[in-house]
Amino acid sequence: MVVDDGSKDGSYHQACVEGVHLLRHIVNLGQGAALQTGIDYAKKMGCKYVVTFDSDGQHCAEDIEGFIEILRKDEADIVLCSRFLGKAENIPTLKKYFLKIAALVERVMTGISLTDTHNGFRAINVAKFPQFVITQNRMSHASEIIDLIKRLKMRYVERPCTIRYSDYSLSKGQSMMNSLNIVVEYILAKVIK
Amino acid sequence: MIFIKIFLIAVLSIVFLLMAFSSRYRTYQRITVIFFYLFLAYLILFPDVADKVAGFFGIGRGADLIIYLAIAILSLIVAVLYAKVKINERAITKIVRDIAIMKARECK
Repeated sequence: MVVDDGSKDGSYHQACVEGVHLLRHIVNLGQGAALQTGIDYAKKMGCKYVVTFDSDGQHCAEDIEGFIEILRKDEADIVLCSRFLGKAENIPTLKKYFLKIAALVERVMTGISLTDTHNGFRAINVAKFPQFVITQNRMSHASEIIDLIKRLKMRYVERPCTIRYSDYSLSKGQSMMNSLNIVVEYILAKVIK
Repeated sequence: MIFIKIFLIAVLSIVFLLMAFSSRYRTYQRITVIFFYLFLAYLILFPDVADKVAGFFGIGRGADLIIYLAIAILSLIVAVLYAKVKINERAITKIVRDIAIMKARECK
């Protein structure tokens, strides 16, 4: 399933290969909104599990099966990928420590202990948790998901996965300065419900 | 002094007319706007009054009092507008999402 978030570069038509369910936001809303659109559609199609996956080529599709297997065995309600348990190829040093600090902050704030909170690769049991709804349209949805895990008392588990930092994925990834915006967005969302 | 007063009253009147005759307001809001307009016009015409009020609150000049009030009111307006933007954003998200799901297709 591909959700095209209002892109203007022809991604919509390029993503149309056999077997793909193709959705399109007519205007750009942000990554969090696109994820929720995908989740809503998956539920409508009767899916029990949803795997989210970054589209810049940093994740490995081979890891998906193992993630879903954990959900099928009902060992957890959400499986998160951690680049620090697995292999992080070519990760820039600064980014590495930055992400570790982010995980530490989340642990202090929510009590959810994860090694990698800002990773786009997750497997979620959506059938069991209809209240799992992402309302943060833009980038602060990662923190919101941690909040949801806490609020819905989901059983979470982290699994290693390989992340390949190519020049392309680094150019598509957000700059670390942007994390300041994410923090402000997150705090505002908490204040203004 | 008389020119700046005429200028301020003119600007105030234009804003007032725009607000009072737009249909978005309820009656009590419109009455508030009218009283606020009369109050501001009064302060422009008789600046000494603002000085007296400021003195009562322990603030030196009437102009200072007006600046403080203006900052407070403008901040409040920004907060209200921000909340409205958020509400709009939520509505747009819902519309865009529903259209996306309605028009979803499976590639062959």
